[in-house]
Amino acid sequence: MTINTDRTMTAAPPRTKFLPIGLRDMGTLIGLLLIVLVFSNLSSVFLTERNLINILQQSSLNACVAIGMTLVIISRGIDLSVGPTAALSAVIAATALVAGYPIPVVAVLALSIGAACGLLNGCLIAFAGLQPFIVTLGTLSLLRAIALIYTGGTPVLGVPAAFRTLFSSSIWILPVPVVIVAIIGGIVWVVLGRTPLGEYILAVGGNEEAARVSGVPIARTKIATYMISGVLASTASLILIARLGAAEPTLGNLWELEAIAASAIGGASLSGGKGSIVGTIIGAIVLGTMRNGLTLLNVQAFYQLLATGIIIIMAMLIDRLTRGKE
Amino acid sequence: MDQSDPNAVPLLSLMGISKTFPGVQALKDVSFDVHPGEVHALIGENGAGKSTLLKILSGVYRASEGEIRIDGAARDITSPRAAREAGISLIHQELQQVPELDVAQNMFLGNQHLRLGLLTDKARMRREARAVLARLDPTIDVTTPIKRLRVAQRQIVEIAKALLADTRVIAMDEPTSSLTPREFEKLTGIIEQLAARGVAVIYVSHKLDEVFRVASRATILRDGKVAGCTDLRATSESELIRLMVGRALEQNHRQNHARSDVVLKVDNLGRGEVVRGVGFELHAGEILGVAGLVGAGRTELVRLIAGLDPPTSGTITVKGQPLKFRTPREAIRAGISLLPEDRKKEGIVPMRSIISNVALPRLGRFTRLGMINLSGVRDKVATLTRRVALRPPGIDQQIKNLSGGNQQKAIICRWQMAQADVLIFDEPTRGIDVGAKAEIYQLIEDLAREGCGIVVVSSDLPEILRLSDRALVIRRGELAGTVERHDLNEEAVMRLAV
Repeated sequence: MTINTDRTMTAAPPRTKFLPIGLRDMGTLIGLLLIVLVFSNLSSVFLTERNLINILQQSSLNACVAIGMTLVIISRGIDLSVGPTAALSAVIAATALVAGYPIPVVAVLALSIGAACGLLNGCLIAFAGLQPFIVTLGTLSLLRAIALIYTGGTPVLGVPAAFRTLFSSSIWILPVPVVIVAIIGGIVWVVLGRTPLGEYILAVGGNEEAARVSGVPIARTKIATYMISGVLASTASLILIARLGAAEPTLGNLWELEAIAASAIGGASLSGGKGSIVGTIIGAIVLGTMRNGLTLLNVQAFYQLLATGIIIIMAMLIDRLTRGKE
Repeated sequence: MDQSDPNAVPLLSLMGISKTFPGVQALKDVSFDVHPGEVHALIGENGAGKSTLLKILSGVYRASEGEIRIDGAARDITSPRAAREAGISLIHQELQQVPELDVAQNMFLGNQHLRLGLLTDKARMRREARAVLARLDPTIDVTTPIKRLRVAQRQIVEIAKALLADTRVIAMDEPTSSLTPREFEKLTGIIEQLAARGVAVIYVSHKLDEVFRVASRATILRDGKVAGCTDLRATSESELIRLMVGRALEQNHRQNHARSDVVLKVDNLGRGEVVRGVGFELHAGEILGVAGLVGAGRTELVRLIAGLDPPTSGTITVKGQPLKFRTPREAIRAGISLLPEDRKKEGIVPMRSIISNVALPRLGRFTRLGMINLSGVRDKVATLTRRVALRPPGIDQQIKNLSGGNQQKAIICRWQMAQADVLIFDEPTRGIDVGAKAEIYQLIEDLAREGCGIVVVSSDLPEILRLSDRALVIRRGELAGTVERHDLNEEAVMRLAV
């Protein structure tokens, strides 16, 4: 019998402790710990507090985008436009910050842009019935072009220090971006597990026709997932421009692939109906750890890419072997 | 029409054909002959064994017992290739063609002429295709992609394909389900041509008027056995129906729970050509059966009522309120629910738990401040599934782990949770074993007693008889008639259905 990793709509059996983490997530976590173990043996600097926090910091961007991507993948879709969405939000937000607009206003502006991009994707997919892959491939180019045209191809420099310090400070030992992404992860976890929208996303991805017969609002659900993905991409862009002090119209390159990789490692199935927020976050940390560890070992960038690719394929094979065909 | 000499050796002889699957005997001791140039009809209800027999003839299945003889010599038909070599061709109901390829390519599918053993010899294939097709329908261009042809023409291509292989026996499975009357006439002409050339034609069809037009003799299958073999010139339609159906009449122990209030009224409902001008009333507590042949439009009709497809004409009134549904969600809110024909494709979300599946339509009611009241949902689902004796009782498991019967019970719980006033069952016991069937019938009766209006679409006549207070019979998209309980028997229904 397949091990049921479905945590939503289930109360914890009274005899075991309630853990927000399913069996599959345990597996991902063990994988992460193994990688940590390997690197800590190979490098003396790896297992220091500073380095570990560094890993979390570096993974936070991908984790943020990947959380949104996970929802989209669960609904049996894909969002290839997250990078350009982030780029567009970034350049407009940076411009607004430089022009002196208050930070809360800019934040709302940036997130609204993300939401609007998501709305565009969602409407095309839900109402025009177009394939998510093709639609987001199209908006990818569209949004990238708009960002480039808007900035004339040059980066927006001079993001104010006030904005930057917001994100460069720490809460306890954790940098603000890590805390923000953790909170976002928590919120989305609750949405997926305890709200009707979460149930609807899982139903649409699991069997759209059955969901339709059962009265699930298909269009609204799909649009919501793409809007969330857009908003989270914009959130990541804010974190990035705070870190860099500038916004390039070309940022976000290959963000969608990193996000998909993190989601897949975390247990999301590209055929829909299955995915885990906790797993995705662990998956993003796995990718960040790989990058960090190999850098410490002075491995060339090309080999880092190779290692990342191998990790992803291995994770999928292990997944298939332990879970069997769906 | 029939040019055979009944004393000559039959072209095709089936002798004592039986076929057993695990748990069910699909065919028992089926024997009949077909002579060269004869058009022989094979008729019977859904589930009588016609398709199994055709599959054995065409090599897809192997008979468990019995013999097939061609020209008096026994042939071992072990595979579709062997059937082809024996000279048997089957024209499927769902034409086995590749839409993007052209006529010639489809005709030579799997059997291409090669030049130098490597390259396909298109010119030669086209030449031969053209030659064969010319005798049947010279207007078809062999280079046209098959998807551009009408179904009738595609069928002719299939027949031509069979002739290429030097076929001696052609079996046609429900050939006219998508043909217009004129196309049917053309097909009749082609069948006459085939017969004139000495080909034996086996014509499988529900449509008795066509059978009388096209065939000279008929073998009637019932419950996997031959119920009769008659000369069509000497028999009548009602006699055929009697042979098809011939069961002892079901004892009607049902109690009618119908109340006076009308929960659902449908008026002149239609969708294009598929459903035309159907109207009826459904009372609370009433079970309305919907019978008809496969393809008559019953599923399409209930999909209109459940909001899955938009009607092109007519009105739906629920509890006195005329409503227009743009999505199933609106229909559900109005109190209408559908248990679809294909559970796996349209009924359940397989990977989700039973709780998720049951609670899905009305999550909103259990949501407070944006969050689902998990324990409230769980309690309600547990209560409902206990009442229907769901086995195994654990509601956290994935619904795909349940048997078909239990999945169906879970879906019934879903609509109880949604407090549906009208429950529409489309083939409620398809793929469900006898024991679970009885439980589902009991559940349906209980629901009727509690005041739900129930519609049961079924191709299983005994099921319609067992459950219905009244039965609608749909024929070719229209309401052919209504049969009241006291008149309700299989012949009455079949007479309207064909």
